[in-house]
Amino acid sequence: MIWEVFRQEDAGEYHTHCGNVHAPDREMAKLFAQIQHGRRKPTNSLWVAPKEEIGEVDTEDAKFGGTTDKSYRWVMGYKDLDAAFAEEVADSESEQEEADEAKRARGGDD
Amino acid sequence: MAAEEAESTEQAERTGLGMPDDLSDDEREAVETLLYRLADDELVIAERYTEWQVRAPTLESDLALANIAQDEFGHARLWYDLLEDFGATEADLIFERDPADFRHATLAELPFEDGDWADAIVRSYLYDEAEALRLEALDGTAYPRIADRVGKVLGEEDYHREHAQNWLERLAADEQGLARLQDAVDRLLPAALALWEPVDEDVEARIDDLGIRTDSLDSMREQWFDRVLPFLRALGLDTPEGVREDPESFLPDHRGRDGDHTDDWPDLHDEMTRTYRELGRTEAHEIMPDPDEAE
Repeated sequence: MIWEVFRQEDAGEYHTHCGNVHAPDREMAKLFAQIQHGRRKPTNSLWVAPKEEIGEVDTEDAKFGGTTDKSYRWVMGYKDLDAAFAEEVADSESEQEEADEAKRARGGDD
Repeated sequence: MAAEEAESTEQAERTGLGMPDDLSDDEREAVETLLYRLADDELVIAERYTEWQVRAPTLESDLALANIAQDEFGHARLWYDLLEDFGATEADLIFERDPADFRHATLAELPFEDGDWADAIVRSYLYDEAEALRLEALDGTAYPRIADRVGKVLGEEDYHREHAQNWLERLAADEQGLARLQDAVDRLLPAALALWEPVDEDVEARIDDLGIRTDSLDSMREQWFDRVLPFLRALGLDTPEGVREDPESFLPDHRGRDGDHTDDWPDLHDEMTRTYRELGRTEAHEIMPDPDEAE
């Protein structure tokens, strides 16, 4: 049985998929994940989940509706506006930018 | 370094025995004897575990056992390093030492039955339950150099026991697995009794009197029986009738602790030191900082 393993480097961060282990059950999967995925890299916590329990939206579906420009749906679409008039917009925008930078700093796509 | 020394001196005042240079001959002999027991067990069992590399039932179990072996090598290193306080080098302690001078228990040196994973699991279970007890008995040691290091080693032992217990439970759930476990218990439990044997009766008594160890070998053996026998029986395994009442009569022919080893030990030592000899080395190559320098 295959268990997908997700590693969190620091408290509060996302658990990021980092590989899998073969194990007969959850307990053994956790034991093996510690050695295989938690030991050589900084690890705050690990999750294991049975592979068959993971649902996937494939590349085709992930394209997400049509070919028209959807950038107005992104918060960064407000970039050209002076957001000072609405505090919540400014906050949301800077949050998104920070998240984006952090993601890039971690090395791109999860 | 000065701060560390001050700290250790402070601890020495609190706990009883001095630093290496301050020990009387009797004290030193007691400390060394205890350290050889610990270090040799860890080194030799780890060396045996490595035989499973690329041969364990799955990649995951291979890595898990290799990880345990690495931990035990690391522990051996901590204890051998304390023997170096008395002037020995790593070459003296391992690579150029007469195999007959090693003091590990028979359990550590026995070869695995060919391809028998149950042997590896039962062995690590019996060993790590004993390991936990003897480390707990060092937690309040009177010797400051050991006191500094016990916590570090104890911290890694939980995983070992959890690993062994999980495997035991899974192997015992299956008829063939149970039969293999039973064979391994029959063969290894007597060898494990050697873990509690004295290197030398007088020196062992002195180790206790000086408070280097806060629990005697006999008392630890009792506690080990309390943990191990019910656990094995609950899995559906038989344990030798009367072993608790009369452990002496179940001891293996060669106990290891007294320097009397099985023929398998010189072979293993030869293999372990072959590269050192083939390369014509006269000292061990150091790839890691001294434990005292590490954080």
